Amino acid sequence: MALLEAIGIGKTYPGGVVANDGVNLVIEPGEVHAVVGENGAGKSTLMKILFGIEQPNAGRLVLDGKDVSFAGPRAAIDAGIGMVFQHFSLVPSFAVYENVVMGSEPRQGIRFDRKRAIAEVQALSDKFRLKVDPLPPVSSLPVGQQQRVEILKALYRNARILILDEPTAVLAPQEVQELFVAIRSLVAQGKTVIFIAHKLPEVLEISDRITVMRQGKTVGQVKSSEVTEKSLAALMVGREVTLRVDRKPTDQSKRVAEVRGLRVVNARGTEVVAGLDLNVHAGEIVGLVGVEGNGQAETLEAIAGLKPIAAGDITLSGEAINGLPVLDRRGRGLASIPEDRISEGLATGATVAENLVSTKLTDRRFVRSGLLDLKAIRDNATKLIAEHSIRVGGPGYTVGTLSGGNMQKVVVARELSEQPKLLLVNQPTRGVDLGATQFIWRTITDARDKGAAVLLSSADLSELLALSDRLLVLYRGRLVAAFLNTPDLTPETLGTYMLGLSTQTAEDMKPALR
Amino acid sequence: MMDIFLTVFSATFFVTIIRTTTPLLLATLGGLVADLSGALNVALEGMMLIGCLTAVIVSVYAPWYVAVLAGLGVGGLLGAMMAFFAYRLKADIILVGFAVNILAAGGTVFALALATGGDKGTSINLQSQAIPAVDLSFLSAIPGIGPILTAFLSGHSVLSWLAAFLVFAVWYFLFRTPWGLWLRGVGEYPGAPEAAGIPVAKVRTWSLVVSGALAGLGGAQLAMFNYVGFTRDMTAGRGFIALGAVLLGARHPVGALLAALLFGTFEAFAVVLPGLFNWMPAELIRMIPFVVTIAALVLFSIRAQRALAMRGVK
Repeated sequence: MALLEAIGIGKTYPGGVVANDGVNLVIEPGEVHAVVGENGAGKSTLMKILFGIEQPNAGRLVLDGKDVSFAGPRAAIDAGIGMVFQHFSLVPSFAVYENVVMGSEPRQGIRFDRKRAIAEVQALSDKFRLKVDPLPPVSSLPVGQQQRVEILKALYRNARILILDEPTAVLAPQEVQELFVAIRSLVAQGKTVIFIAHKLPEVLEISDRITVMRQGKTVGQVKSSEVTEKSLAALMVGREVTLRVDRKPTDQSKRVAEVRGLRVVNARGTEVVAGLDLNVHAGEIVGLVGVEGNGQAETLEAIAGLKPIAAGDITLSGEAINGLPVLDRRGRGLASIPEDRISEGLATGATVAENLVSTKLTDRRFVRSGLLDLKAIRDNATKLIAEHSIRVGGPGYTVGTLSGGNMQKVVVARELSEQPKLLLVNQPTRGVDLGATQFIWRTITDARDKGAAVLLSSADLSELLALSDRLLVLYRGRLVAAFLNTPDLTPETLGTYMLGLSTQTAEDMKPALR
Repeated sequence: MMDIFLTVFSATFFVTIIRTTTPLLLATLGGLVADLSGALNVALEGMMLIGCLTAVIVSVYAPWYVAVLAGLGVGGLLGAMMAFFAYRLKADIILVGFAVNILAAGGTVFALALATGGDKGTSINLQSQAIPAVDLSFLSAIPGIGPILTAFLSGHSVLSWLAAFLVFAVWYFLFRTPWGLWLRGVGEYPGAPEAAGIPVAKVRTWSLVVSGALAGLGGAQLAMFNYVGFTRDMTAGRGFIALGAVLLGARHPVGALLAALLFGTFEAFAVVLPGLFNWMPAELIRMIPFVVTIAALVLFSIRAQRALAMRGVK
């Protein structure tokens, strides 16, 4: 008998977005069950329904053969379901044990029994081989360990079914392996794991069975042993896709951007970029590799002029741009696709047309004697919407109504509507579906082929390996390794350096530093 | 010069400090509880003021402790009202707080006029009562230090002793009980307690109720001990000073006590100095607590930044 079943689940959000439409999911006890699909396929909505955060409009949930409905997370927790979100729900200044027991604390009278809490967390951590010290505050732990705290939290509440929402997205390859060891140990001790992901090799490695979702529907349930990466991808998008881009040979002799001795100190006084040197040449893509938070984002922001720098020199085409405001840097041929399209890349309440000219308000084509030329702005938008096949009702629609992939296309269209000299790209395809990813990769590569120098940072190693000519690995704000992107370069090799387990000598790095 | 010295180191001055500190400390504790839960209570001032008037009017018709409870109750109600607007009706909590302050400024004068039959300035023609002082003169019997003990410890308001106890009680609640953990968690990162099934809005609602009750209690002390009777705008910014004291006290109950004592001391100065320096305009002296508040906050902020810079260098 199935442990948990979702039958004919339907969910329509206010505003008419159909997120789930007749979704069926069957979870057997003691299995690792992966749910895969593109972004916007409805995976997250389904999980939120299983965990009681959202209520379905149709269908039913069956747990242990009995109909259940969860009014909220609390009810789901009580029924033995635990969920680990992609964004951790941990209080940063609280100790590990406080985070684990919060909400179901051991008590002694009205007192919070700390000793017992620490002992219980320690016991749980030993039992499930989720090694973590109960005492330090979680903010001092690396991401992989914070994730373990989240899993412990669910186990502490006696979860039998554990839902992991894209657990590998934030981890380095080695940490992914550790997570998989933990998952296997959980399953061996009778737990059931639901694993949401869109990185197919990982899905095939860890799961027993896979449910595939597409556009709010379940399109199939397969055994992991019976499918290949390719057939799974085809199921996900409904057609064969190859995530690959061809890069033309280009002339990479001209040095466009130079960064010397860059130091960036964040608002809390911590040095996040510690003396970085790098060059980017015309016609090449340089990938900045690193676990998130090791200085890649700050390096890009410093070059774009969005963050003050503590020391160092930045030159563009031989001219220093250190003290220049953002607009002047853009005027000299810099373009930037920021990490967070919603808070930094776009004004979500403004229209597509307005967003597409928002960096060009000194351009006489769009603004004359201080007045907007609305017709020119609309024409510009119509043209770019067509060129980038942005799916939107028209230039006058607000950006906030678009899907993630189409929002990102708006950013890309704006930044690349004119050929830049230096293009800064951070997480170009985070939360973007495969079709749009393919398109965005193509567009960035086209800019490179036409002679732009591109500096790319991404949490997705396959993206970096697919696009980059050279790869620079950052660890704690320092350059620890540099590679030419050759076919024999693997994510595992990069991972060793990303985690700071080893460092190349200056001699090793030399061939890849130009 | 000698005069100041004698005054400052006298037992009477100490008693004055405790008197001026008590309403501030109660309001600061109230501000602390709300702030730690993530619901910044900018309405402390208004809650105190309404607490003052309620306590005064109730004390005309009922025993003093009922009046104190009324002050506390009305503060708690105002906190519940704020929470209702902020969490049920989704209004901005800062704006709701200011609405309470404005309501208090005008509403107390209006209610005062109704209660006194037209007097819009003071409650002088109401027979309001005072909170009794705790008489510890029996301590004088202790040989040697007895008289000194009496001079320092006797004659404080009941609420001063209660406030001192509340510092401990709030600390115990925040750091030793599960609900304190919830409250601090809700204030720092609401997503975490929410995922653990803790009702975030409910925690904040209760902390606003407690915050209001403490501010109301501070109001009762102000209008039934520091002064007996109500004067329009008699809180004179104490609620805002309390907000500053929360930060200055590093968001900790003991810090709150120290910060409240600091401001209380300068307010005590403002009380005794006019008698010693009659050449100095009284208005100037009355500014001292406020100038100190601003100076203390600026210094605190500079120090905090430096501490961070130090850590960055390491």
